[in-house]
Amino acid sequence: MRVDLFWMCLWCLIRHSVSGQGQSTAVCSPSCSCDEDGGADCSGRGLTTVPTGLGTFTYYLDLSMNNITELPASVFKNFPYLEELRLAGNDLTFIHSDALSGLHQLKVLMLQNNQLKSVPSAALKNLQSLQSLRLDANHISAVPEDSFEGLQQLRHLWLDDNHLTEVPVGSLRHQENLQALTLALNRILFIPDNAFANLTSLVVLHLHNNRIKEIGDNCFAGLVNLETLDLNFNNLMEFPKAIQALSKLKELGFHSNNIASIPEGAFHNNPLLRTIHLYDNPLSFVGASAFQNLSDLHSLMLRGASMMQDFPILTWTNNLESLTLSGTKISSIPSDLCEDLKLLRTLDLSYNEIKELPSFQGCSLLQEISIQHNKIQQIDRDTFRGLFALRLLDVSRNEIQTIHKDAFLTLTSLANVDLSMNSLTGIPTAGLSAVSQLKLSGNPRMKNVLSAKSLPKLRSLSVPYAYQCCAFVGSEETHMKKYTGGDDGEQISMILHCSPSPGAFKPCEHLLGNWM
Amino acid sequence: EGPPSCPKGCDRCSEYNGCIKCKPKLFIFLERNDIRQIGVCLPSCPVGYYGTRNPEDNNRCTQCKIDNCEACFNRNFCTKCKEGLYSHSGRCYVSCPPGLHTDNETMECI
Repeated sequence: MRVDLFWMCLWCLIRHSVSGQGQSTAVCSPSCSCDEDGGADCSGRGLTTVPTGLGTFTYYLDLSMNNITELPASVFKNFPYLEELRLAGNDLTFIHSDALSGLHQLKVLMLQNNQLKSVPSAALKNLQSLQSLRLDANHISAVPEDSFEGLQQLRHLWLDDNHLTEVPVGSLRHQENLQALTLALNRILFIPDNAFANLTSLVVLHLHNNRIKEIGDNCFAGLVNLETLDLNFNNLMEFPKAIQALSKLKELGFHSNNIASIPEGAFHNNPLLRTIHLYDNPLSFVGASAFQNLSDLHSLMLRGASMMQDFPILTWTNNLESLTLSGTKISSIPSDLCEDLKLLRTLDLSYNEIKELPSFQGCSLLQEISIQHNKIQQIDRDTFRGLFALRLLDVSRNEIQTIHKDAFLTLTSLANVDLSMNSLTGIPTAGLSAVSQLKLSGNPRMKNVLSAKSLPKLRSLSVPYAYQCCAFVGSEETHMKKYTGGDDGEQISMILHCSPSPGAFKPCEHLLGNWM
Repeated sequence: EGPPSCPKGCDRCSEYNGCIKCKPKLFIFLERNDIRQIGVCLPSCPVGYYGTRNPEDNNRCTQCKIDNCEACFNRNFCTKCKEGLYSHSGRCYVSCPPGLHTDNETMECI
């Protein structure tokens, strides 16, 4: 170990001193541009072979986007200090087993976007410093068992966008140091048990855009440090129970699959989960206890679980900021919802069968509530009490008949209210002074007139009957210009859209008699 | 080759925004040019970005979201920390977290 340190320091000194004088790093090939530090950029020059004439101390060599089809033996023998070699975007079909010999310092090797049909395992054999290997976007259908044998320092491996039909289990067997692996965009159908058993350092695993229909219940065994698992865009029929082995999982994606149900206790072994992406699955059932005890979860979006009847138990899932639960048979909301969800900012419970609203008083950070398309019949005094941050409230398309006169009293930030398509006879305006958009159309029994004074900030209004716009509309034009004094007395006009506007056939004067 | 007026590796472009659709396998990177974004096609994404491959659309270069990171595997996992920093589980540290110590050869916390 002490000898290695000596050589490393000597090499650093040589590299820096030489680059300072700029003599030998000035050695460059006419086909490249070289910098003072030993970097050589020979990319995009139409080269068919590796150029000669580059300096021995080259540590970075970019040969990408040329027309190199083969790498012959010892082609890089003059670059013992090379750390990064880029060969992306060539037409490489063959790499001689000795092509990369001598590259003991190589850390990054980029072979993506070439024509390789198999992993060039013989050529990779002696790259003992290699940390990042890119083989993505080739035509690789075979990964020999010894492919990565000599690569003890390998940390990051890209095999995405190839023709793999199975997980290369054998070749990964000795990769205890591997931390990030992508097998995405391949044709993998199945993940066998213990497929990644020895990858104890793996943190990120991408398997998205494959054809995975089934996975073994123990297929993720051994991945004790995995934090990110991406199974999006596959054909999974069952919930991936194998995630129970992943106690450190933080990000999980299995959206765009064919999963019909999420079982009870689905994530009970994944307490560190922050994000779960599960949309675009034909979900019909979700176990009520599935999302319990997920204290790092910030957002939960469940749409269209049409058979789901019980509101999910969210005890200790107490850092949720956004909850979307729509398109289910849920008919009630737990009265203690806001005891757990104190940090909630957006709540979307639309398209369910909810009949009654609890008080949301504890959810004091709520900014948006969407409960349209339910069966709610009334709004009580305490339903929205204390929601000072609430900006948007959509309770349209319910069966609301009564709203308590103080229901909106404390909603000082409320700007957008949609009460359309209900059974209202009237609405309280106390507390609506900041409202700029108000929808009341589709409440046929609501015949009274609103007072313009109680809605000073109104910009857009929809009402059941045209005459109700008269209070907001001048006789000549349909857009009322409201004049308010500016600081220096300059007049600021605020345009108000009111529909249905009382036009030629429904003039306000004519209607005056009716609503005076 | 793409239309002659288009930059290298590009299948479809516009005079104002550069490349709009890159050739298969390449990544589109939006270079900032004053208020404009100019699309260029790259075999790998520049420093501070990672490539996301998408079967239906452009492969894209997306910004790494990790402090002190030069190259990353995805938004949250760094593959190369800035000079002098130590990496652990895809993040970059000035000094290693408690319970771990520095490996100056691989610049990792172990």
